[in-house]
Amino acid sequence: MTNVRRSVLAIYALYLAFASSAGQTFESKVEQLLHDEPENIKCFTETLRDLTCFWDEKEDRNSSFGQYAFTYQYQNENSSVCAVSVLGAAGKRLFLCRLSRIEFFVPLHLCVYQGGRELYNRSLSIDQVLLLDPPANVTVVRTRLQRQLNVTWLPPALKYMDDSMMYEVRYVVEGSPMRKEIVKDSTKLTLRGLQPNSKYKVWVRVKLDGISYNGYWSAWSDPVFGTTPPSDLDPLILVLVLIISLILILLSLTVLLSHHKFLLKKLWPDIPSPERKFPGLFTVYKGDFQEWLGHNNGSTWPVHMYTEELPAPLEVLSEASLAAPLPSHVSNPRPEATPRAAPYSREESDTMEEGEDQLETRGMDAGLHDRWQEPRHTHWLMEQLRALQEHPEALSQSSLLESQDTYVTLNQNSQHTREDEQGDDILEESLPLQALFASRGTSLSAASHSDLGSLQQSSGSGRLSSQSSFEYPNHTWSPNGPGYAYMAVADSGVSMDYSPMSSSRITDMGKGVTYTNEYKNDILEHRQPLSGQLIHSQY
Amino acid sequence: MSQTGHEERSKTVKRSAGLFALLLIVLEWTRPGLPSPLRPICDLRVLDHFIKQARDAEAAMRVCKEGCRIGVPLVVPLTRVDFGVWEKKNMEEQAREVQTGLWLLNKAISSLRTSISTSVLHSHIDASVRNIASIGQVLRSLSIQDYVPTDGGIDVQETWRVSSASELFQVHINFLRGKVRLLLANAPVCQPDS
Repeated sequence: MTNVRRSVLAIYALYLAFASSAGQTFESKVEQLLHDEPENIKCFTETLRDLTCFWDEKEDRNSSFGQYAFTYQYQNENSSVCAVSVLGAAGKRLFLCRLSRIEFFVPLHLCVYQGGRELYNRSLSIDQVLLLDPPANVTVVRTRLQRQLNVTWLPPALKYMDDSMMYEVRYVVEGSPMRKEIVKDSTKLTLRGLQPNSKYKVWVRVKLDGISYNGYWSAWSDPVFGTTPPSDLDPLILVLVLIISLILILLSLTVLLSHHKFLLKKLWPDIPSPERKFPGLFTVYKGDFQEWLGHNNGSTWPVHMYTEELPAPLEVLSEASLAAPLPSHVSNPRPEATPRAAPYSREESDTMEEGEDQLETRGMDAGLHDRWQEPRHTHWLMEQLRALQEHPEALSQSSLLESQDTYVTLNQNSQHTREDEQGDDILEESLPLQALFASRGTSLSAASHSDLGSLQQSSGSGRLSSQSSFEYPNHTWSPNGPGYAYMAVADSGVSMDYSPMSSSRITDMGKGVTYTNEYKNDILEHRQPLSGQLIHSQY
Repeated sequence: MSQTGHEERSKTVKRSAGLFALLLIVLEWTRPGLPSPLRPICDLRVLDHFIKQARDAEAAMRVCKEGCRIGVPLVVPLTRVDFGVWEKKNMEEQAREVQTGLWLLNKAISSLRTSISTSVLHSHIDASVRNIASIGQVLRSLSIQDYVPTDGGIDVQETWRVSSASELFQVHINFLRGKVRLLLANAPVCQPDS
């Protein structure tokens, strides 16, 4: 007997141990239902093979459990009695009853009688009071993706009800509020939007979905920990950042290299040193200028010599100071203009003719008075030139018209014919413009040497000519000093022609011809009669 | 000569092939018996939808007190399910049980139309009748043969009578939730390893 009792006790103890090691112990379920269920008779089924109903004793009565009677009746059946048992200590006792024969999908009526009187009653359907164990084997694993965790679990091993389960997953991380998610028809869940590199605590619980079966939420499963992988840089962002930084570096390098001199000057300006101009001053003579001067005298003078000409004084001589006149038929030749002017003169030949005519008439009318003021000058000049042209040796006599410049002389006689050979002088006198500016294409040749004959040749052509200048072997008035640069000024009344001449050429008189100035615009000069003085300078 | 013969032969072959195809088509049309089997409806969400509707109807009937009295008690099936007992039955027994119950329910709910005057309840009644018919279609799709119980074939043990509309609809929903669902959930056609 004692052995049997001992074995029974041992078995009971083992059973209790097993029950306690289950996901949720019976007591805890009772506790939970005590809290959740508002009905007086609280019932639940966990194994689908029995129904547990219990009620708590009233506080006021210290009653024994023998007073209670518990009856249950299925629809269309007779009522049955269930044995009442006690749970808990005095003062907090629970009376419970376990129904062994259970039927689903039928109404069940329960009644608790106390002392013959009905205390509680309840009508329920067992398929609506399911209280399951929490899910087992909850696992949390990392996924390939960032900020995610995979949670999986095993469903409760209930036949016919796998597709009626509903799960709730709860997870929390330090510093964040708890989050819950409902899962239906599946035993896995992917948690998204998690913090990287964090430890998450996950729970799962189960409940019937309420359509065909219903019940209470199970207890939370034991927490399972999972750590999210540390965040790594999005490769695309990394590549873009690298590319942009590379571009910026290249740009800055380019700017630096292209402006490096400028930047260097700004950042590290040169201190000017006179070493360049004074070679050896600082290195050899250590700044002793006197010594350095002594060694350097006569050799390269660092001071720049101006290669420009010294300002030359300008002497303006009038005709009045000129010497005795030459024969009257001297006409003033014109120095040769540049060959460039020759074609130009040809082009203007037609216009020149007209201009000449106009000028002649004008010269006749307007400048008559003015002309007569200095007819002697013009005549005299031309005569001088003429004489010189014909008799070059007589140049020594002439003290006038020794310039070799291009100049224009006009006289009043403008109505004479042009073809007269004899009247070449006259022609030239009378049609000075024409004569002076006429050429037959020999201007180029005339430019090369003094040729008064060209003047005669060209007289009648009515063309512009660039006439050569000629030199005078003698000249009466000499420059004031050696090395003076003279400027020959030919005043046509409109423009002044200046031509620099070197006074050093004075000695070269009679040898060669120098042609200095260019052929100016003669049209203007043609139109205007010579009103001013004809100024010559000799050299 | 041979060419024409060859051509003639090819022509006849083509013609006979065409006739053969035509024959097949005609036979397919006129094949006797059941029409081609429906695709099996294994998704229990269909039934869940019916159950939800039945729940609404039952809730509506529960509050109806006066206008929901029925004169003649209606025969309804038993809804209780004992898993041990149920598992022992084979597929055909279960199917017959379900179909008998559905037939009875259909008859009972349809007879309510004359008794109940409220239009709201009428909609529930019509929905329930429609759903029962749809469940019959679902069963047919699962290759469960139609079964119409004869009057003698109904086991009285498996029926009882209700005297109120709320009870009737309670039976209705319990029946759907229990036996019908068990049958559909365990249909061999829907099992993955069948």
